[in-house]
Amino acid sequence: MASRPTVSVQSKSSTSLSYPAVLHAPIRLDVVQQVHKSIAKNKRQAYAVSVKAGHQTSAESWGTGRAVARIPRVGGGGTHRSGQAAFGNMCRGGRMFAPTKIWRKWHVKVNQNQRRFAVVSALAASALPALVLARGHRIEEIAEVPLVIANNAEGFTKTKEAVALLKALHAYNDVVKVSNSRKLRAGKGKLRNRRHRQRRGPLVVYNEDNGIVKAFRNLPGVELAQVTRLNLLQLAPGGHLGRFVIWTEGAFSRLDEVFGTTEKVSLLKKDYLLPSAKITNSDITRVINSDEIQSVVRPAGPRVQKRPWTQHKNPLVNTGVLFRLNPYAKTARRQELLGQERLKKKGKKKVKGTSAGEIFKKTLLAP
Amino acid sequence: MSVDLQWLLIRNTNSYLVKRVPEGPIFSKEPGNLRNLHSLKYSGVVDKSIAIQDSSAGISIVTRKTKAASNQVVSAQNKTTIRPNSSNRRSYGIVAQLAKRGYRSDLRAAAVARVSALLSARKKKETINARPVREKKVRGSKKGKAPKGLD
Repeated sequence: MASRPTVSVQSKSSTSLSYPAVLHAPIRLDVVQQVHKSIAKNKRQAYAVSVKAGHQTSAESWGTGRAVARIPRVGGGGTHRSGQAAFGNMCRGGRMFAPTKIWRKWHVKVNQNQRRFAVVSALAASALPALVLARGHRIEEIAEVPLVIANNAEGFTKTKEAVALLKALHAYNDVVKVSNSRKLRAGKGKLRNRRHRQRRGPLVVYNEDNGIVKAFRNLPGVELAQVTRLNLLQLAPGGHLGRFVIWTEGAFSRLDEVFGTTEKVSLLKKDYLLPSAKITNSDITRVINSDEIQSVVRPAGPRVQKRPWTQHKNPLVNTGVLFRLNPYAKTARRQELLGQERLKKKGKKKVKGTSAGEIFKKTLLAP
Repeated sequence: MSVDLQWLLIRNTNSYLVKRVPEGPIFSKEPGNLRNLHSLKYSGVVDKSIAIQDSSAGISIVTRKTKAASNQVVSAQNKTTIRPNSSNRRSYGIVAQLAKRGYRSDLRAAAVARVSALLSARKKKETINARPVREKKVRGSKKGKAPKGLD
């Protein structure tokens, strides 16, 4: 990150804004997923089975000796119900196992700093074209990411204007994608006010609502948010990073104020500094090839090409392989052979020298 | 943001993934993926890539301008097309030229192979259309009459 890129405002007059520090924040997928998982639970409504369900009989066990199981049984006669087992979760008409209660723990507390970390991560991810593409947004034809539009869009009151703007930005493809994706939901959700399911479109972030909300809100998939009220559920739907965000100029230039920088405290969040990445340069190839590393490491040796699937040679039999594995073996063998030869020579001399002397023979063979 | 880190972020979940064959290869639908394989090397989204696709005007090649800023999308694209009547060897040369100039030289073989596949697909289409349509044989009593649709 030697030079900080600038972002141009997509309008007739070309102005460029500096990158806010949030968009360089570390992107932690695990933090975003964890926080999203917990936050998504906070909108649930309590549900439970009836407290009385399965307990509205006066059944009692018959005890032993009647050759039936000792489960409570409905008393009386004159109806099919009498004598049937009750209460147990295995019984027809019985209570469920561990009946659900409305006092289940529906909400999950997430630490404030973690929540902020997740939002900041999601924002940084929304500024990378690769991640926005990978999330499925149709941004192939837009000029740049992050996409910043002029402030006059905040004054739009008609959806017609909004559509014209998105078309001019080539961002309308993403809205078309959403309306094409609209499908009937599978299952009971259809009856519970969740009749259709569809993709998510762009998120428009504004600073001041002079009608922009009403202009955009009827477009399928488009959501709106105010800069100070950015929400992880919108920035990373489903815990997937890279929402396509369209900023108005006013919103974009307020980001440093809202989130602060790594050195300057945020104006709106008390004592909040942006998290900084553990390593400044995550490009490992570049780190390895840098002068600092290359000046220290040993120079590369000659290239060794290893042929795969060669025949295995037994070093106990094949001397060539043995000598390659154990260079001393050659010397050892040579010494061994030389020693034997020396011994042979020595032995011959000894044989010569051991013949008995003439005088000894004479005395021995004396008559 | 480095290529390595971006790859880690989209490796497990992205909209281009195709995991259709159990225990089989993982494919990718990215337009810039030369072998349609889900891997860092062939990824058409994360790094500089070569997007080779067939179009009516010929085989289009989209590359990324080397000096473009990382946040640019359309203005960083470099589009060229191989004209439909250029020869095979010329077409391969146009693609291999990228590698020669030092633009993703590791993708040279894959790029040439893709162009080759597109060219051969084009050839096949032509031959299918060129096959003469056999006329229906006229038999029996209709033999003497003029064939339908000729008057």
